[in-house]
Parts: sequence; structure tokens; C-alpha cells
Amino acid sequence: MSHEIFMPALSSTMTEGKIVEWLKNPGDKVERGESVLVVESDKADMDVESFQDGYLAAVLMPAGSTAPVGETIGLIVENEDEVASVQEQNKGNQPAVSSSSDQLELVSNKAEEKPVAHSEIIEKQEKVVVLKSEKAAPSFNSEQINAATSNVSSRVIASPRAKKLASQMGVDLAKVNGSGPHGRIQADDILKANGQPVSVPWIGEGGSPVSIPGANLGIESKPETAGNSFGNPGETVQFNTLQKAVNKNMESSLDVPCFRVGYSINTDKLDNFYKKVKQNGVTMTALLVKAVAKTLKKHPQVNSSFSEKGISYPENINIAVAVAMEDGGLITPVLKEPCNTDLFELSREWKDLVKRSRSKQLEPDEYSTGTFTLSNLGMFGVDRFDAILPPGTGAILAIASSKPTVVANSDGSISVKKIMQVNLTADHRVIYGADGASFLKDLASLIENEPETLVS
Amino acid sequence: MVNRTAIIKQPDNISFFNDVYKLQKEYQEALILDNSNPDFIWIGEHQLCYTLGRGSNYDNLLFSLNDDNHDVFKIDRGGEVTCHMPGQLVTYMVLDLKNFKKDLNWYLRKIEETIIKILGTFNIDCHSREGFTGVWIGNKKIASIGIGCKRWITINGFSINIDCELENFNKIVPCGIENCLMANMIDYNKNLNIQEVKRIVKKTIQEEFNFDFVSK
Repeated sequence: MSHEIFMPALSSTMTEGKIVEWLKNPGDKVERGESVLVVESDKADMDVESFQDGYLAAVLMPAGSTAPVGETIGLIVENEDEVASVQEQNKGNQPAVSSSSDQLELVSNKAEEKPVAHSEIIEKQEKVVVLKSEKAAPSFNSEQINAATSNVSSRVIASPRAKKLASQMGVDLAKVNGSGPHGRIQADDILKANGQPVSVPWIGEGGSPVSIPGANLGIESKPETAGNSFGNPGETVQFNTLQKAVNKNMESSLDVPCFRVGYSINTDKLDNFYKKVKQNGVTMTALLVKAVAKTLKKHPQVNSSFSEKGISYPENINIAVAVAMEDGGLITPVLKEPCNTDLFELSREWKDLVKRSRSKQLEPDEYSTGTFTLSNLGMFGVDRFDAILPPGTGAILAIASSKPTVVANSDGSISVKKIMQVNLTADHRVIYGADGASFLKDLASLIENEPETLVS
Repeated sequence: MVNRTAIIKQPDNISFFNDVYKLQKEYQEALILDNSNPDFIWIGEHQLCYTLGRGSNYDNLLFSLNDDNHDVFKIDRGGEVTCHMPGQLVTYMVLDLKNFKKDLNWYLRKIEETIIKILGTFNIDCHSREGFTGVWIGNKKIASIGIGCKRWITINGFSINIDCELENFNKIVPCGIENCLMANMIDYNKNLNIQEVKRIVKKTIQEEFNFDFVSK
């Protein structure tokens, strides 16, 4: 499978960045943490690194071009044999890259002058190539691309759940056209191939809990969606490792005296703000995480947890967010210190975490260091739910969907506002009702009155 | 902001550009490998040389690379060509922005503020200009900024013209700005000298970035 390289946010105010130089050529091996390209904004430039070991498969934006923050500018694949298929797919969109200039070049002698001029010519040619390919782009549709990909690569790429479903339903993977990135076969493709209704992937990624349910979500428009099942009727299926881990955590919560406290938050302003920043790659999850982290900073008690020695106050505020895995179980990737990270960077980190969660590439400290957890089921349109407290933490916040609601205002008038219910579950040994309530009051006030301060 | 230990180096002699650049790179690499390593500050002067950022336009070099005997270096920083020489004080800061703010715009503005404070100590009134990073006295540029960054560990920094031969800037289009006029601090305060400015640069950085300095 391929991983995208995004235009990073070098600052909270940056909306686009210039690609100065690609340090790697398509086909080159890259290591996790190795610089792949250089991006510039104002007088500062930054090395952009690869998040995983693999091969640079495609350069989608050439050196010298400008791309909005969050835009995919390159693709990295895990295996060398995937390079060809990705390159085929992006043909005409990949400029030749001038040879990488390593750290320091002394260019005061004669021999060096020509290559410099030469590389500028290449850069100019690159621009021409890209302009052309942009014009040509609309004539490709995704199905053609995916079909082309599966023709080129003889290897079948399918998600674990798709493979499982295929074997359960007796579907031949080789005959299925994948709708995922680069022709990857998804569970939905198997269902489609088997003539079954398609389910909406239930990932707690929170694209938009505050959108109007039903207006733009497939789940509402297709009332007869298939639910999740890991086995066939009559079968008993063994728990997988992740499910076992979740079971253990859930059982340990039975020893914790929890209480719940809820709040209704008006999201009209948050929704408007989200609409503005969405185009810069900001996700709703990042917005909610930022709001919760900022409020926790004022309410350290709600970030604390029970320990045998007493109330334990963590050094950091790290927000874990529950993500359901498509083959069972769930994982809680952690956004560390959201207060110190701007919204754009936070959104990028979150997208990367979700992507790597799905491919099970998270390091332990990326899913086990949360000090507070968010669980968001807003995308399903639920009006409220309560969450179970993960061990080692003091509180978890359940976030439901934001729905247009008739509200009686304090002056006696009636209006329709978008209302989102949140529900805090907390360990009463360390967090008391008043702590939880005042935390929710401040969280609501932040979301309702000044969502624009969530930028940094 | 927590106090951070930074190693400071401030040689009195003129330093060869390449040596200092390599030194910065070493400290940057060390910080990337282990963020408990110290930050690094270097304050000094270079021989006459020209440096280009990785995205710089070579058209802004007004001399031919083979005619002139000047040293030209292409380095890891943003921005266009600039010039270093004796009489100009260069400050490099290799620091971990994760301990401050992961925001390069914030860092650039913070450096501008720091320079304005430094010049203020010498009663020189200067300002930043929106869209033209650096510090200005009227329409003349007194200080230039260029930084690079890898995993939020910065490299390079800023240069302040104290008492240097500004004619050297005529051989380039400084920072890619046509007809950009440069200035020296000495023209605004006759009583200062570079050692004095160096002391204030150190003190101001220490205050602005909350450093505990260790000399080396």
C-alpha cells in the first residue's frame, strides 16, 4: 500500500508552501526519518521526512511549485515492486528530478556552473510537464486508474478484512476491482462483488460529527446497511489479539467507581470555523482534541488518574482518540501535547496516526500514552452514549452527533441551533462531579464562543 | 518556558564559514538523535563569502561564478542570496523548537523582536516590515534572517551589519529584493563596537529564549 507525503504546516498561519527541492528521486529507497524534500515558507525552510521505510514512488508536485497545506505531494510505497504500478498510475505527472544536492556545495569553481544552469532548465521543463498533465488529468477516472493498476501489478492488494470476507463468501480476489488507493481491494468491494449492500466503514476518525446526519453521510441514505460481523451465523470466532486486549481493559474498568456527567454544546460557530479551515486539511478530530486539551490545561484534575500512592498528575496532556479497526478491536492513537502543536500540524499528525493505525504500524508510545480519551460516534448520528474508562486514566469523553435542535433561549424566544451532546465518564476517586461539570462548562464555552482560538 | 541549556561559542577571530556550518550540522544531528542534547548558539564573524538558500535564484548573484574569487555556499536555509564579511555579526541558533513553539513563522518573528531589542539597547530605532523578513531602519536593511529546520531543530540564524564594507552587497541582489539598501549600526551610533554588540546579542538571546549558557 502507499503512503502519502503531505505539504506540512510550517506555521499556524501558513496556508501554502513552496517545494524547494526533492532530495530523492522516484524509485529511491527511503528510510523512516530520512529527508525526502525541502519546503520553504518565507525565510525558513524545512526538511520533510518520510514517516516509514519504503520507496519514493511518485513526485506529484515538482520542485518550484506551490501546494496548499495538507495537499498530497508525493507517494511512498512499502515494497519496491509497488513502485512501478504507482508510477504507471501517475504517469505524466512525475517530473524528472534534478540530482539531489547534499548538505553543502562549494560552487565557486568553473565546473560547477553548468550543472546549475542545467538544473534550472530542468525545473522549467518540469513546470511545462505538469501544466500539461493537469489538463490531461480529467480524462482519467478513478476506475480506469484502478483497473490499470491491477493490470500492471500481478500481486493482489487487499485489506485484511477484505481477504477474510472474500474467503468467507468464496469471492475470488483476483476478479475484484479494488476501489481503495492504487486499486487496493476493500471490504466494500468484496460485498459489491458478492451482490451485497455496502457498509460504511466505521472508523472513529470523526470526519465531521457536526455535519447534519443524513445530509451527506452514506449511512443515513442507505438504511439497510450491513452491520459488522467477524464470523458466520452459528460460528464462534476466537478473539484476535486486539480484541483480547480491549476485553482486558474493559473488564478492569469494573473495578473503577465511575460517574457520568453530560452537557449540550452549541456547535454553530465551530461548524462555521471548521468550514473555513477544512480546506487547509484540518480535521474535526483535531479541532475537538485541541478544544479538550486547552480546557484540560485549565482543569488539571480532569487530566489526573488514580494510583496506589495517590492522585497522579501527568506531566503532559496527551489526548487518545478511539479508532475502530475494521477487522475487530479498537486502538487509541495519541496526539501528544496538542496545546503545543498548531491545528494544521495536529490534523496532519492525526491523519498519519489513523493511517498507520489501520496498517498496524503504531509504536507503543503512540497508542499507550494517553492521559485523557475521546470517543466520537458523531458520524453515526447518535444523539448520546457513554464510554467506558480506559485503565490508567481518569476520564473519557463521549462525543455524539451535532443535530439541529429547537432551543428555548433565556429571553424566552425559540430558535434552531446545532446541538452536540457530550458525556464525560470519570473515576470518582480522583475526579468529582464538580470537577467534571466545570470542565464541561469551560469546554462548551470555548467551542461555543471562540473556536477560532483553536488554531494555535 | 523552561530554561534550556545551550552551548555558546563566540570566537574573537574571523571564522571560516564552512567550519561553522559543519559545527552547526553536528549539533543539529545530535539534537535530532537525542533531544536531551544541548541547544547551540554561535556568535562571530566570517571572511567575505556569499551564501544561497536551497531555493535561491542564482540570477541574484551579479558576478559570474568563475570570474570572481568569492566563496559561494549553498546551505540549508530559506531565502535568497546574502553576504557575510568581517564587521558583520553573525548569530546561529541550533535549537529545538519543540521546546518553544512548533511554528517557523513564530520563530522568524521572535528573531526579529530579538534583533529589535538588541538594536534598541544601542538606542537605534528599527522595525520589521510585513512581507520582508529582516530588520529595517527606515528603508535600509540592517539585519537579515535565514533559517533551516529539520524535525523542528533549527539551523542558521541572523546577521547584523555593524561596521562592514556594504559595497560587497552590490555584487548581489540581497535577499532577492531589487534596489535593497543596506545599513551599518555604526552609522546610527558612533560609540559602539562589535565586541559590545556581541555581548548584548548574547544577553538578549539568553533572556528571550530562556537559556542557561555553557561556554565552550
